Amino acid sequence: MRFKTTLLDRPKHSELVSCVGWMSPDEVFSCGDDHKLLCWNLLSNETVVVSEFPANTFPLELHWLPKTSLHKTKGTADVFLLTAADGKFYIVGSNGRVEKVVDGHRGAVLAGRWSHDGAGLVTAGEDGLVKIWSRSGMLRSTLAQASTPVYGAAWSPDSDAVLYTAGTSIIIKPLTPNSKPIQWKGHDGVILKVAWNPNTGLILSGGEDTRYRVWDSYGRQLYSSTLHHHPITSLAWSPDGQVFAVGSFNTLRLCDKAGWCHSLEKPSTGSIFNLAWSGDGTQVAGACGNGHVILAHVIENHLEWKNYEATVTSRTSIALRDVTNEAWEKLELRDRIIKLSLSHGYMVIVTSSQGYIYSTRNWNTPFIFELKESNVSLIVQAERHFLLVDGGSVFVYSYDGRVLCSPRWPGMRTDVLNGHTVSLSNDTLAIRDKTDEKLVHLFDASTGKGLNDGKPWSHKLEIVQVALDQVGTPNDRRMAIVDRNRDLLLLALQRVGAMGRAVKLGGMVQSLCWNDGANMLAALQDAKFTVWFYPAVVFVDRDLLPLTTTEKDAAEFGKNAAVDRFLDTQITVRRSDGSLVTTSVSPYPALLHNYVTTKHFDDAVRLARFVKEDTVWACLAAMATAHRELGTAEVSYSAIDAADKVHNIHHIQEIPVKEARMAEMALMAGHVGDAEVLLVQSGLIFRAVMLNLTTYNFERALQLAVKHRTHVDTVVAFRQRYLARFNKAETSKLFTQYQKQVEVDWDKINEKIEMEYQKEREKPTTSASQNFTDS
Amino acid sequence: MADQTLAKAGLYFDELNKIRVLEPEVAQQTLELKDECKQFVDKIREFHERADHFIQVADTLSTAVEAEKMKAIGCRNLIKSMSKQREAQEQQLLALIGEKKLELERLRVQYESLHRTDADQLEFIEQFILQK
Repeated sequence: MRFKTTLLDRPKHSELVSCVGWMSPDEVFSCGDDHKLLCWNLLSNETVVVSEFPANTFPLELHWLPKTSLHKTKGTADVFLLTAADGKFYIVGSNGRVEKVVDGHRGAVLAGRWSHDGAGLVTAGEDGLVKIWSRSGMLRSTLAQASTPVYGAAWSPDSDAVLYTAGTSIIIKPLTPNSKPIQWKGHDGVILKVAWNPNTGLILSGGEDTRYRVWDSYGRQLYSSTLHHHPITSLAWSPDGQVFAVGSFNTLRLCDKAGWCHSLEKPSTGSIFNLAWSGDGTQVAGACGNGHVILAHVIENHLEWKNYEATVTSRTSIALRDVTNEAWEKLELRDRIIKLSLSHGYMVIVTSSQGYIYSTRNWNTPFIFELKESNVSLIVQAERHFLLVDGGSVFVYSYDGRVLCSPRWPGMRTDVLNGHTVSLSNDTLAIRDKTDEKLVHLFDASTGKGLNDGKPWSHKLEIVQVALDQVGTPNDRRMAIVDRNRDLLLLALQRVGAMGRAVKLGGMVQSLCWNDGANMLAALQDAKFTVWFYPAVVFVDRDLLPLTTTEKDAAEFGKNAAVDRFLDTQITVRRSDGSLVTTSVSPYPALLHNYVTTKHFDDAVRLARFVKEDTVWACLAAMATAHRELGTAEVSYSAIDAADKVHNIHHIQEIPVKEARMAEMALMAGHVGDAEVLLVQSGLIFRAVMLNLTTYNFERALQLAVKHRTHVDTVVAFRQRYLARFNKAETSKLFTQYQKQVEVDWDKINEKIEMEYQKEREKPTTSASQNFTDS
Repeated sequence: MADQTLAKAGLYFDELNKIRVLEPEVAQQTLELKDECKQFVDKIREFHERADHFIQVADTLSTAVEAEKMKAIGCRNLIKSMSKQREAQEQQLLALIGEKKLELERLRVQYESLHRTDADQLEFIEQFILQK
């Protein structure tokens, strides 16, 4: 990725340019010390003077009212905020007419930003005050009072706090009164600029110590740049928060959100005082100290998927390469490319007016579809369909360009969605809520209907990342989530009814990725790199969890690395310095997954015998148990020396009734509730009672017994024996009541139990359930 | 005699017998003086002309010298700034080189890891074949 810059031969401003802003993806406004407001049209390459400010107005910062806020409050025209050195700030219309002048500060107003929802604005001045104003310029509050000039200010992602600078410190102050601010020392020199991305929540700062730094929203430093020759005079996040631009004297950098630099340009611009990204995140405008306005657009965006490589070579063209046969393709598009994504055998390209879907099998005839809105901020691909996120909606498209659905949820905000908070699989779409980060909205991907009874699934902590597994049937869909404590949890998604609770898989997870061809999960955990070959093992047999994973020292990836891809057996990890490191895992678990999903358990066993690895056997044991394949499970468990399990399986195999066997299997997996439901449904009340007795769930056993008027004495007898053994007195009211009603005779009870087993042996396997439904 | 009387009266006759009020010698001397004066004036004028010319020449020379001097100073400054410019350019190039180096390092790491993966895969294939 790099910038392609354009600079005119002669500057259009006669003095230094102090601020720039994008009105539309093709129009830039700039303002400088020559008091002129210029509009640059990039399509016609024309520059016109929109208006001229009085000679005592020296503008400092320009910020357009965010476009997303216009959706909500229709009818408001485009306006921008202009702060000036005379202590005033101006709200100016797109025609250059000043709509409002407000005397804001003593001394210069050094920074001014609209909140993300457009409801208010913040200004910071030389007098050290940070003030919050309403949309129309009425003073709401003076948020802070610093002893030094405040050079930079930025809104939090939810617009409920303001970040500002005071000398070498960065301070986050919530808007709610009497709340405690967070403050930390950011730089060794005065901090000149800050930026806070609403999408990723990352903070950027740069100052006179000639460094720029990346922080998370708690003030932890994620990256610190090397020294530059000159102070950092400008910073700006791209709207999607994946990259940012840094400006300094004769310097323009394009950096990844992790901090490392994609490219460095050395244009003769003088100091770049301000930088602004266009709404679609493809272009940057910079206000230069020598009167120029530098325009740069991002090119050479490079994508790889399996044997295909795609590189954006110019605004409208893409070069494609198939590395296996060195075949080159050149795709020419009509409009400017805004986003592209290559995965699952398809490349989706979004231009400013249309979307193109290319199949890797055929690069000549794409499916073309019209866009509802050109501001596409995210593309997420799954095997069967893909997701487009634009300024106001979320669309699921099929690969022939049809809109399948457009899910909506209350409090919907699309500008904050990114690859961590949205996940798409063949049948399910998961989106983390923004206002309450503990919630995940789950939708059926083809119909857009909500799962979990239409309610969002909620976790007890804020969720940082959601990821759906990609393979298998909809009924086996599982979602991995990482919460604020960096715990990784796995949740089995139900197609109907409510979801269960998530089960913990591991802790200290920084980054994770599902495999594309099998449900395997790779994650970076603190100092180790872990691959779960069969994460769903936690639903079947937790004891097998360590056996079905492989761990590796993550030292080679360094700190703050992230799992980039997990294709086939190759895992690609991006280190914090930007380099990609590949590592591979054993191919056998993936093969095993394939056999199991196609129900070829014989082949699976043969494979495991061939490989002779405990990991494979453990995976197979878990898979077989999950699929209720007793034979395979027995073989697998014996291969990993789990004698107790083998014994249990033997016991299960001897049970004559099928439903009881199923229940026992469920019990083996630790799902007591499921087992009981299964037994009660098939009329095996005796077994259900016994199940509760063996799990010491006496009250439930008694309830069942009383409800079905059978074995009440058995339950009471077992309870008494239990109490006698532990020398305890009866505490349950229910039992004291029934104790009086029944008399305990162990001979009779044993006889009755034997009779039940006898009955089961005599009965045909399926008749039990029929008997029950008949009666 | 007559001459003497005339001389007393202040009258004289010259060689051409014209009557004069000045003594012929004095007249002669006066004439000579007049001639000499004339000569002197002429010489002075000539001197003036020459001096003027000389001043003019000196002036043009001085402006020329001044111009040259300015030029020289300019050149010297230019050379100085050139070296500064060079320095700045060098710095810029160094920054660009540093950037490229970082990129190269990234690519090297990637290449090495791919190399390792390649070796791993070859080893796996070999083992797989042997096992069969």
